[in-house]
Amino acid sequence: MNASTPLIELRGLEKSFGKQKVLAGVNLTIHRGETLVIIGASGGGKSVILKHCIGLLQPDGGEVLVDGTVISSHNFMDVQTIRRRMGMLFQSSALFDSMNAGENIKFAVREHNPEMTESQLDGMVVEKLNLIHLSPDMQTKMPSELSGGMKKRLGLARAIAMNPEILLYDEPTTGLDPVTGDVINDLILDMQKTLGVTSLVVTHDMVSAYKVANRIAMLHEGRIIFIGTPDEIRTTTNPHVKKFIGN
Amino acid sequence: MLTRAVISPLENLGEITSLFFGMIRRLPLALKNPGLLFQQMMRMGVSSLPLVMVISVFIGAVTAIQAHYQFRHLVPDTYLGTAICKFVIIESGPVLTALVLAGRIGSAIAAEVGSMKEKEELDAMTVLNLDPLRYLALPRMLAGILVFPLLVVLADCLAMLGGWAISRWNFNLTTAAYIHGARFLFNAYDLWIGLLKALCFGFVVTLMGYYHGIHAGAGARGVGEATMRSVVSSCVLILVLDFFIVFAAY
Repeated sequence: MNASTPLIELRGLEKSFGKQKVLAGVNLTIHRGETLVIIGASGGGKSVILKHCIGLLQPDGGEVLVDGTVISSHNFMDVQTIRRRMGMLFQSSALFDSMNAGENIKFAVREHNPEMTESQLDGMVVEKLNLIHLSPDMQTKMPSELSGGMKKRLGLARAIAMNPEILLYDEPTTGLDPVTGDVINDLILDMQKTLGVTSLVVTHDMVSAYKVANRIAMLHEGRIIFIGTPDEIRTTTNPHVKKFIGN
Repeated sequence: MLTRAVISPLENLGEITSLFFGMIRRLPLALKNPGLLFQQMMRMGVSSLPLVMVISVFIGAVTAIQAHYQFRHLVPDTYLGTAICKFVIIESGPVLTALVLAGRIGSAIAAEVGSMKEKEELDAMTVLNLDPLRYLALPRMLAGILVFPLLVVLADCLAMLGGWAISRWNFNLTTAAYIHGARFLFNAYDLWIGLLKALCFGFVVTLMGYYHGIHAGAGARGVGEATMRSVVSSCVLILVLDFFIVFAAY
């Protein structure tokens, strides 16, 4: 695959839940190294797109390609191989409640790399905590002892533990105060700069979208109705987009 | 509506069967994570001990009183030990213990897994290529299969003890007569059948707990309903399975 090939490509993605059609033919390409932000109303299907990209959901129609491999099939091994190259920060952080912060980061790495020693794993945890600007002392804390912002950061540390090429962020700033939200935005930018990851961010927070995006796509009634740079979205004449961004 | 009423149970049966075979396929992987299995065994076994101990003593005591009442004018009290031993080992030990553990262990599994689903922890495991069947379901199922028979053996012993206490102090039966009665007609086959039941019940309770947990609806209500469904379905399956095992064995 050359650098100009889209790293993630959605072709005519369709998904319904019961009688409700959530995605009605989404076409989208995400290029290597860029941060694409999908905006749209709550309940509009943004997170559904994200879950298709990592194989948590199967589409009713269309397909999802990651680096040229169709993952919207039932080929389990392909999806697993692709997932090894991806990390995801969940809206609720989705930390494992029964494990402390360090174990949350270590767990998957240990299972997939049985040759790694405990001291190597400990070193990896400290490195990841440094990347997200958390003190190594944090690793003994349980998730219930952490604030919302810290949980998100820890969720990000877990997402980057396997050194992914692609990071998916599901509403990374939702539920956080503006200052903490901005810390998360800075971390998203850091991940792009320091790790060179390709990022797909889903949010309805326009402050966050303007700050982290190379391109912004708007999902409306199951379709992408706009895609462009932050400057282009500010000057768009599309009435739905204008209404959403508050212009 | 009628179609749904027919299809829904079939769907559930299909999913449970698929879950069952999924766990069977992953059985060899259980040895790769003995820590998870040991942790579940400790959680299920040790935490259930006080409950099992209390109910078992009372089950034995009630059995002794009932047997004495049924036997009066017909059978001498020297056979109290026989009746208690037979009933406890074949029926009340495995069945009543399993029913109580369905409420204690099955509901805990359903609530834990349902809550993990609600908080996207199951999705997080999948994204991290950590198969929930291997890391969540399998250790619980194996722990259930191993712990239930152990708890039932303990329950049998304590029920016999409860029965002895009532026989000794209420009905003035000597300890020697009680033990003699218990050994009279004792058959190891009954014990094996009781243990087979416990093993099957352990599997059913953990399977139902996990199944209803992963199908929990949203919010606290969804988790609560999943917990309730896991207990109800476990109890029904325990009694149905009990019938089939007894029918086949005797």
